Amino acid sequence: MSQISRRQAMAVLGALGFGATAAACAGPGGSTAPGGASGPAAPSTGAVTGKVSFAHWRGEDKAVFDELIKRFAAKHSGVEVAQDISTSNDYNAQALQKLRGGSIGDAFATFRGAQFKNFTEAGIYTELKDSQAVKNYQKGLLSAGQNGDSQLGLPYQVVFPMPMANVDLFDKAGAEIAPKNWDAFLGMCEKLASAGVIPISWPGGDVGNGGQLFNCMIANNAPVDDMCAQIEQGKLKVTDDWFIKMLNQYKDLVPYLQPNATGTAVEPAQNLFSQGKAAMLATGSYHIAAVRGLGAKFPIDLVFPNTTSDGKGKYEGAYNATFILGVNSASKNQAAAAAWIDFLSEPENAGYYANQTAQHVSVDKVEYTNPDLKRLSPWLQKKTALAARFQFNNLDVRNAVEASATAVISGTSPEQAAAAAQKIVDERL
Amino acid sequence: MSIHPGTAAKGKAPESPTPANTAKVRRRSPTRVNPALYLFPLPAVAVVAFFLVMPTLQAFQYAITDWNGFSAAFNYVGLDNFIRAFTKDSLFTNALTNNLKFVLLVVIAQTIFSLILALLLTKNSRGSILLRALFFFPTILSSVSVAFIWKFIYDPNFGLANTVLKTVGVDGGSYLGNDAQALYWVAVTQVWFHSGQMMVVYIAGLQAIPRELYEAAEMDGANKWQQFKSITWPFVAPATSIVVAYTTVQSFKAFDLILGIAGNPPKSSLDILSTRIYSTFANSEFGYAAAQSIIFMAMIALVTWLQRRLLRLTPKGE
Repeated sequence: MSQISRRQAMAVLGALGFGATAAACAGPGGSTAPGGASGPAAPSTGAVTGKVSFAHWRGEDKAVFDELIKRFAAKHSGVEVAQDISTSNDYNAQALQKLRGGSIGDAFATFRGAQFKNFTEAGIYTELKDSQAVKNYQKGLLSAGQNGDSQLGLPYQVVFPMPMANVDLFDKAGAEIAPKNWDAFLGMCEKLASAGVIPISWPGGDVGNGGQLFNCMIANNAPVDDMCAQIEQGKLKVTDDWFIKMLNQYKDLVPYLQPNATGTAVEPAQNLFSQGKAAMLATGSYHIAAVRGLGAKFPIDLVFPNTTSDGKGKYEGAYNATFILGVNSASKNQAAAAAWIDFLSEPENAGYYANQTAQHVSVDKVEYTNPDLKRLSPWLQKKTALAARFQFNNLDVRNAVEASATAVISGTSPEQAAAAAQKIVDERL
Repeated sequence: MSIHPGTAAKGKAPESPTPANTAKVRRRSPTRVNPALYLFPLPAVAVVAFFLVMPTLQAFQYAITDWNGFSAAFNYVGLDNFIRAFTKDSLFTNALTNNLKFVLLVVIAQTIFSLILALLLTKNSRGSILLRALFFFPTILSSVSVAFIWKFIYDPNFGLANTVLKTVGVDGGSYLGNDAQALYWVAVTQVWFHSGQMMVVYIAGLQAIPRELYEAAEMDGANKWQQFKSITWPFVAPATSIVVAYTTVQSFKAFDLILGIAGNPPKSSLDILSTRIYSTFANSEFGYAAAQSIIFMAMIALVTWLQRRLLRLTPKGE
């Protein structure tokens, strides 16, 4: 090998350094959808073969999806589906970056709200409005996956972010499970407390789960349905009377929560409920499988904390349509990914998923055989409000607004808590 | 590739350094290496350039944009992100305050605690070695495991701390649920986690102190405190320097411990700079998060430098 002079060696190192600097100084972004994503066009068609990466956050549903994957592979020989699962918080924070390249998440799920919006803006979804799958869904539950005229995602799950109730404890205490107004709700809590149980187990130490109660509390208090979007835009303020009234109602709940509620993580809160020490778990129906796993044998129903004084509220409950299924526009195997989504959306398979995971689905004509789902099915017909907290697109704003309720439970006055939250909202207008 | 063998030319007497042959002598210096050897660090340089230099430079560039992390469109906003962090973002200033408080608490507590442990366990007896191993044990655990262990300890309903207190008739607390105290409880966890590691650094420093100094001090009538003040402390100053610097950086970057113990996102009383930056990235504000990262970097450098100067752990000029 011929010799290289020191000057040449330095020139190579210099060129490398210059290249690195130049590369570093290239503008961010670079294409509408980096990694090849090209916006909402229908998924490409072709043979249903090859590997499909399915990205989602439901680790607890892994075994159920594994079974569905087996059935899918039996139907389409030569296709493999691998689940790429993150925790819900990590998925919320990182999925967009991971999926942009298309090597992960040929098919994927997103949360309703900020994540769906960001995925839409990044052009990661394909257009599903003409797909076979969309015809299987209840029309009224598809809006969470729409952007203008486009149907970018299919909200798969229907969950009720409302307190779950231990029906046995309610019966024993003689407490009414469907309180008609706020006084009746507090009266119900009082009866439960008198019976020696903690009325409400609330995971105040867990921002994500603790915040679900907010959906119920705000539903009938707010003057408009898009209250959280308007708070974020500065059209409504959390220092407004209606919001302060809601915070005062949170204050009313303090005697009925477990001691040190703001320091309670979700697992201990679930334990209090599943062990029969607490009559309600203020998270949502998505925790039914978890509490059954912890040994809860009692019948479970839902309770809507009706915040009205006269019982004439607009809503009788709260629901969320989430786990929004989509096909990645950067995927190199869109045909198989779309076929997987079609497969999940067939009533038989959606029914299997629902009954095994104890969660309702948005797919029509599903037969619920799971006793918990059967018991809660009437809630599908009630006038429920679409969970408001997911209207927030800015997570700092959402956390600040919800933290005002936690602060009130910690002992801060509603006015002070609201002012602190409004300050953060104002900074982000 | 050939390497020059140097000037020890076999069978020849060295030439006298006349002006005419000086250049020749220099070329044949025994320290001379083949220039091709300069290319040997190339892979390492490439790795550092690609994974360290480039992202750092990119951070500086992103910091002056309003890029959201995924779109092609962005605007250059000058220093607006930096101004926003200090003047219009109470979440950032709150995280900064929390972080400085956390660093101060942990640096003081961890330095003192690890030095005390080291002083007690500096002898190489069997008991000391066993105890050193025990105190060092938390260091080998992953921070996520540590977070889960302490999350259980602090749980107000089923946790170890309140259960123990209950058995002696004392009402437990809310720990992480109490915004005024939460940071202190996480600091306790951090000190428990890393004191063993710092103890080892101190033990190495203590064992290097000549025994004769203590013997001489004893003969002069110096008591234990005087011996510590005049011999031990000056001799462990280099170890203290390492402990303080390492603990500072570690406390600034207690990201995984905070996220594990307080959840994601942590509530504002437990939000520190690294978790705030993560939340800002997750909130699709890449430009702003990059600016926060640069402030974070500068803050660590500044605090470390100040500590070394204030504690006089580094002689002037070093």
